[in-house]
Amino acid sequence: MEICKIENLTFTYPDQKTPVLQSIDLSVHQGEFVVLFGESGSGKTTLLRMLKQELAPHGDLSGTIMYMGQNINDLDERTAASEIGFVMQNPETQIVTDKVWHELAFGLENIGVSSPVIRRRVGEIANYFGIHTWFREDTTDLSGGQKQLLNVASIMVMEPNMLILDEPTSQLDPIAASNFIDTLEKLNRDLGLTIIMVEHRLEEVLPLADKVVLLEAGQVINTDTPTNIGVRLKGLDKNHRMLRALPTPMRVFHGLDMEGKSPITAREGRRFLTDFMNGTKLSNEIESEMVQDEQPIMEVKNAWYRYERDLPDVLADVDLQIDKGEIVSILGGNGSGKTTLLNVMSGQNRVYRGKVYVHGKKIQQYKGKELYHHNIAVLPQDPQTVFLKNTVRKDYEEIAQVLYKDDSAIEQKIKDIAEQLSITHLLDNHPYDLSGGEQQKAALGKILLLEPKILLLDEPTKGIDAFSKETLQVLLKELQAKGMTIVVITHDVEFAAMISNRVGLFFDRTLISMDTPQAFFSENNYYTTVASRMSRHVMERAITDEDIIKICHNNQEKLYEKTVD
Amino acid sequence: MRKDILIVAFIALLIAVVISGTKIQSVEEYYLTHIDDITEDSETVFISIDARAALDNWDDLESELQSEKYVPKDGMILEETEYVLRPKDTVFDILQRTTRHHQIHMEYQGANENIYNSVYIQGINQLYEFSAGPLSGWMYAVNGEFPDHGVGKYTLEDGDVIEFKYTTDLGRDVQDN
Amino acid sequence: MRSFSTYHPFILFIYYVFVLSITMFMMHPVILFLSLVGSLIFYMMLTSVRTLWKEIRFYLFVFILMAVTNPLFVHKGETILFFLNDNPVTYEAVVYGVFISMMLIAVVFWSKAYSYLMTSDKFVYLFGKTIPKLSLVISMALKFIPSFKQQIKKVHNTQKTLGIYTSESITDRIISGIRTFNSMISWSLENAIEQGDAMKAKGYGLKGRTNFSIFTWNHRDMFVFIIIVIVFIIIMFVNGLGGYSFTYYPVLSNWRITGNDIVKYILVMLLVFLPSLIELKENLQWKYAKSRI
Repeated sequence: MEICKIENLTFTYPDQKTPVLQSIDLSVHQGEFVVLFGESGSGKTTLLRMLKQELAPHGDLSGTIMYMGQNINDLDERTAASEIGFVMQNPETQIVTDKVWHELAFGLENIGVSSPVIRRRVGEIANYFGIHTWFREDTTDLSGGQKQLLNVASIMVMEPNMLILDEPTSQLDPIAASNFIDTLEKLNRDLGLTIIMVEHRLEEVLPLADKVVLLEAGQVINTDTPTNIGVRLKGLDKNHRMLRALPTPMRVFHGLDMEGKSPITAREGRRFLTDFMNGTKLSNEIESEMVQDEQPIMEVKNAWYRYERDLPDVLADVDLQIDKGEIVSILGGNGSGKTTLLNVMSGQNRVYRGKVYVHGKKIQQYKGKELYHHNIAVLPQDPQTVFLKNTVRKDYEEIAQVLYKDDSAIEQKIKDIAEQLSITHLLDNHPYDLSGGEQQKAALGKILLLEPKILLLDEPTKGIDAFSKETLQVLLKELQAKGMTIVVITHDVEFAAMISNRVGLFFDRTLISMDTPQAFFSENNYYTTVASRMSRHVMERAITDEDIIKICHNNQEKLYEKTVD
Repeated sequence: MRKDILIVAFIALLIAVVISGTKIQSVEEYYLTHIDDITEDSETVFISIDARAALDNWDDLESELQSEKYVPKDGMILEETEYVLRPKDTVFDILQRTTRHHQIHMEYQGANENIYNSVYIQGINQLYEFSAGPLSGWMYAVNGEFPDHGVGKYTLEDGDVIEFKYTTDLGRDVQDN
Repeated sequence: MRSFSTYHPFILFIYYVFVLSITMFMMHPVILFLSLVGSLIFYMMLTSVRTLWKEIRFYLFVFILMAVTNPLFVHKGETILFFLNDNPVTYEAVVYGVFISMMLIAVVFWSKAYSYLMTSDKFVYLFGKTIPKLSLVISMALKFIPSFKQQIKKVHNTQKTLGIYTSESITDRIISGIRTFNSMISWSLENAIEQGDAMKAKGYGLKGRTNFSIFTWNHRDMFVFIIIVIVFIIIMFVNGLGGYSFTYYPVLSNWRITGNDIVKYILVMLLVFLPSLIELKENLQWKYAKSRI
């Protein structure tokens, strides 16, 4: 039975001429897992919000949205509140109360359930979600993953039929995100819960999806099963941008111009490659260049750090050399101390033993602002914290005044940076109104105005979609070409594999290995990219989908001969 | 932080003690006062300490003070007694000499400790101001008159009669007598 | 001491009120002493011997300071030890100083222990029951304040690395503080909008909202409630009859404890050692239950 049916939906925001959603038709069946994807600005969030009566934006609407055969606007408020659940992007802001148990009860209180019933349902849900161990904690003490889990639990306690999620994992680290997605899978499988979700972490979500919906410029351009969506995309445009957002096995599949059902998971990808290679073994001859210099631009020597005297060490005997002009990625789990290392490198925290040199000079010898002018710049995890003004331009002007006195020079400089990052059209917006990816680019622009020689980035791929990730990658490469040295602290192995000259793993308070990405990822069995995992049995040192595709293309004849034989 | 506050408090206390002086005397030393013998030509004054008002308002008196020890049966803590007047003696000098001589308890507030710039008698023989209701306290009269300045500022003359009276009604109960 | 904290917030509340009123309004030295010992044991059970020891080291100084101060300024009392600047320093004043500081320190430790027990949710539950809206607002505020602080810290750290202001000059620091705070206002508004959406999505604003709490009143609470109320009433009654009266000035009342008095003090002990007794009882029960397995 159709739980939700959208017919010919067109929607325009009050002050705009072009509709954000255009004649959308979509039907979702009971128990289906539907994944919506599309570029930012394609109307995904608006479409999701239309499905939730309380959150539906105001504007010009035509067409109908039916829920269980009833127009969604005619739904009884109580039914609407409890039967349709909605989870938003930011785990932090959705939490209403200070205690976990209270948060779980909040929705039930609202719809007027009696205390004994609330007690039972809350207890039941806490058990199901494994929340019982932190049931009495303060909500502010939870990790991001726990917060988002609590958000889902506090909705599931109201026993919804349909759960809508708007990029729920974008603010989570990969491990928390995959736990979260596992929970969704369990809900869908155990309870037959209908799930409609917007997600850019397709790698993990696509294998679960029954249906994938592709939105572009407010229109549903495609609806199909995950295995066919790639083919449909290619049918539209051979180099469709959306292809880049697909999971690695699918990208390899389409990169090799294959037809039919594409592999989705690493396991399927592996099988596909086995068939494709047909017994040939190949290896990647490309190796990232190592930049070698006499004098490292930055050096951390036997560094020890702890936050307080009584607390344990966060950094223990860390050694790290950064050479001029390279991109170094430092990988590591949550709370491993990566960010602390970054803070030590940027002079925010001072080591208590060991030394940090910048341009061969001890970091503590830099006075006041010296360290941050034409020298080191940091892009923080949360780009929002970079902005203090009402518009991006005002923020830019303020920072540009530090280095330039002349008004026209300031204006020129801002113009240049904005063009380089292609954010000129965003300059007069409020920083908080930008999407995750735009916000990050704008933040990067602000710190680039300080003309740094060394750029430190903390989790730059957090909260941004696949396209923004790709733009960022291109941008960082451009900056590198201009001679900038870049250090990236990240969880994101795929991103690290794409951009780095060298990759290091931070574990147990220290940096335990440091190598070229090819060597690093092909030697790791678990902490490695999907591409490496699906290809290692047939090719050596291939760590990205591009590597795999390139190797195959370069060896076309060899492969062709084989198949002919 | 807390330790700092504590240290500051200790220092403040120390300073307070140092400023107010640190003359420490044992009980014997203190009460060992020299009383001039009365001779033919010595100038003298008369002093009495009277707590009869407390007797009249026995029920208002704090229960622990409802004892003969503090308010004698006849209400007189000290019957009229004659003392030699030394030159420039004030009422306070005489009172202090008397209480020391008779080993009667007396507590006063020094002239620099209150806003009146004058010595203020807080309690005699454990009878304090407010011991018998909010309007109670010690007053004094010289030759039947109640002066309007403090005990430390009233210089006595030969033959003056000092009466310390405990009042329970801001003096209205003792003044009219 | 985890078991006393599992009682109903109301029990915790009236227990605190009773103990404090006995400590603060009955100046009997035996009561003060028992209350101090009770508060110290209670605090130790909630935290640890080490924390207690740390605290005691500090409060011992406070104790001495207060005990010394009293006789310097109060000269009441019959038993004169010596004269300081012609004013008597009395034995009674010294004793009074000792017990008044005992009282203050007992109050401090009761309150410290209480703040461990009375977590924000219990507090909200107790005082929000009459005004449900208020309790939700308090709960939201208690969630908002820590995240606000966290955000301020994050913004501040970021701004430091932007190098507009140094952290060395005080004026710079103030200006940067003001700028940060300004941006925090937009952050808060942004936050409020999203939170408002989340609340609406969960049906906030519908008629007939109920109030849930995880605290339940069971027979265990009833039992303790009856005990403390009865004990307190008897203590108050005995006090009304003058059973606990004690005077310090001008001369100390009789110190000696006779057979009759024992009962009076046992009542007080029952009250001040109640949390410790409960803990002891549950420990023993647990041991017994374990030995049976």
